[in-house]
Amino acid sequence: MRSRLLPALLGLLLALPFVLLGLLALAEQWRWPAALPPAYSLTAVRSLLGATDNDLLAGLGRSLLLAGTVAVLATGGGLAVARALARSTRSARWEAASYLPYALPPVLLATLIQPFIIRLHLSGSGVGVLLGLLLVALPYATLLLRSFWTPQVAEYESLARTLGCTSAQAFRRVLLPLAWPRLRTALFQTFLLAWFDFGLTNVLSVGKVRTLTVQVFAYVGEANSQLAAVASLLLLLPPALLLWLNRPALLRRPE
Amino acid sequence: MAASSSFFSRTLLPAYGLLVVGLPLAGLGYALAGSLGVAGPLAGGFTLHYWRGLGAQTGLLGAVLYSAWIALAAVGVAAALALWLVLGAQEALRRGPLRLLLHLPLLMPALVVAFYLFQLLSRSGWLSRLSYQSGLTTSIEGFPELVQDAAGVGIILAHVLLTFPLLTLLLQAIYEESRLDEFRQLTLTLGASGGQFRRRVAAPVLLGRAAPTLLLSFIATLGAYDIPLLLGRPYPQMLSVYIATRLQRFDLRELPAGYLAGFLVALGLLALIGLLVRLHRRHAL
Repeated sequence: MRSRLLPALLGLLLALPFVLLGLLALAEQWRWPAALPPAYSLTAVRSLLGATDNDLLAGLGRSLLLAGTVAVLATGGGLAVARALARSTRSARWEAASYLPYALPPVLLATLIQPFIIRLHLSGSGVGVLLGLLLVALPYATLLLRSFWTPQVAEYESLARTLGCTSAQAFRRVLLPLAWPRLRTALFQTFLLAWFDFGLTNVLSVGKVRTLTVQVFAYVGEANSQLAAVASLLLLLPPALLLWLNRPALLRRPE
Repeated sequence: MAASSSFFSRTLLPAYGLLVVGLPLAGLGYALAGSLGVAGPLAGGFTLHYWRGLGAQTGLLGAVLYSAWIALAAVGVAAALALWLVLGAQEALRRGPLRLLLHLPLLMPALVVAFYLFQLLSRSGWLSRLSYQSGLTTSIEGFPELVQDAAGVGIILAHVLLTFPLLTLLLQAIYEESRLDEFRQLTLTLGASGGQFRRRVAAPVLLGRAAPTLLLSFIATLGAYDIPLLLGRPYPQMLSVYIATRLQRFDLRELPAGYLAGFLVALGLLALIGLLVRLHRRHAL
């Protein structure tokens, strides 16, 4: 009995955010003390596809572009840096240094580097935000991909070169397929890191690069719960998709 | 090709170091210089004025104490909940959908959790509406202040909601790895009760091995920004909100004190991370 009640209760608790956000996104004129909305409408959801100068749609596009760029640059860069790290004689020191950006909260990191971003004339620009996000995402990907560059991988590479591959062919046909599972994880995780960020983006862009998280905050400030809820639900879509794709691994019973 | 590849690997690590180590350290140096009056828009030459006035900065001390309280309460409650689940609901955690359900909060950015809890717990929120409809309260003021409150209940709840599923999954993994089920059988055979096994064997093993993660969660909560920005009050503020607010004010004379606060908080957090690394090494031995 208890083993069924507990998951049911926890399921209810953990599913409630999605229910409440869904209600808020569809509610019309939902004022206190009504427990449920008096009317439902798809206006906010339709407006996402309708208007031409749509803030929400632009925010979604901006978030996707920024998070996608961060994911590709951090993963590609991380693979290259991790290789250089593996060949370095001071590998352990470099690895320890890679943890430095994590020692500080993102907002504190952003406020500390902001004077330099201003000097580089990148304040309030997408490139400035991209640089700030890469400061966190690149070492993350590097540390994640460091374990790929084992002596065995180096042996595979030299074997491919001995058999006549150019270095580009060895990379494309041998190393890339071997690294792909780790690269996929790094791509997903760095994408989510940028997708979830609010503080760093907000500080470095001075509110000018309006990603979805920045827009949720702006809508809350304007007391526009409906659009804040729609933006929140949009923010949940990519991680939900990733969770769904990884469902078999998460549900696998322990040995 | 080989020459360009070697040039690439020779320049890659220094460039990486410049970004990952150089930029944050330069920021830290700039904050120190700003607090000493030698950098920043209104730098007027070396002065210890702001360092001497540190004792009078009650806002910074308030932010430190408030953040420590929030982090301690949030991680404490989350760890207690996770421990209770792992020790009391092994069957449900091993079989059934609970394991997947615990991943649901991982889908939510901190800002969305804050927005959700604001809509749920505020005086005009859903719980207030339900309590009015069920006759528990008779007015909007009759509902207790659970967000933007002095004790930070809303902020604590938001962090618990984000942290406890992760800690549960971690403790469950440790439980399985440490083969605590076999230890349980052994202690029961030797005459101990279930409660004694949980208190004297399982809890110390689980909490001991999870200590680095608990400290990391504490540090992460200490530096939280999104949640306290939405669910907190203008005073007291959590550290990140306090520093970001001070450095973004229009009054440029506030900047050196803001730089000083940023510098000291960064140093404090680096010291905590140092402690975490030492703890991690001790556990690895």
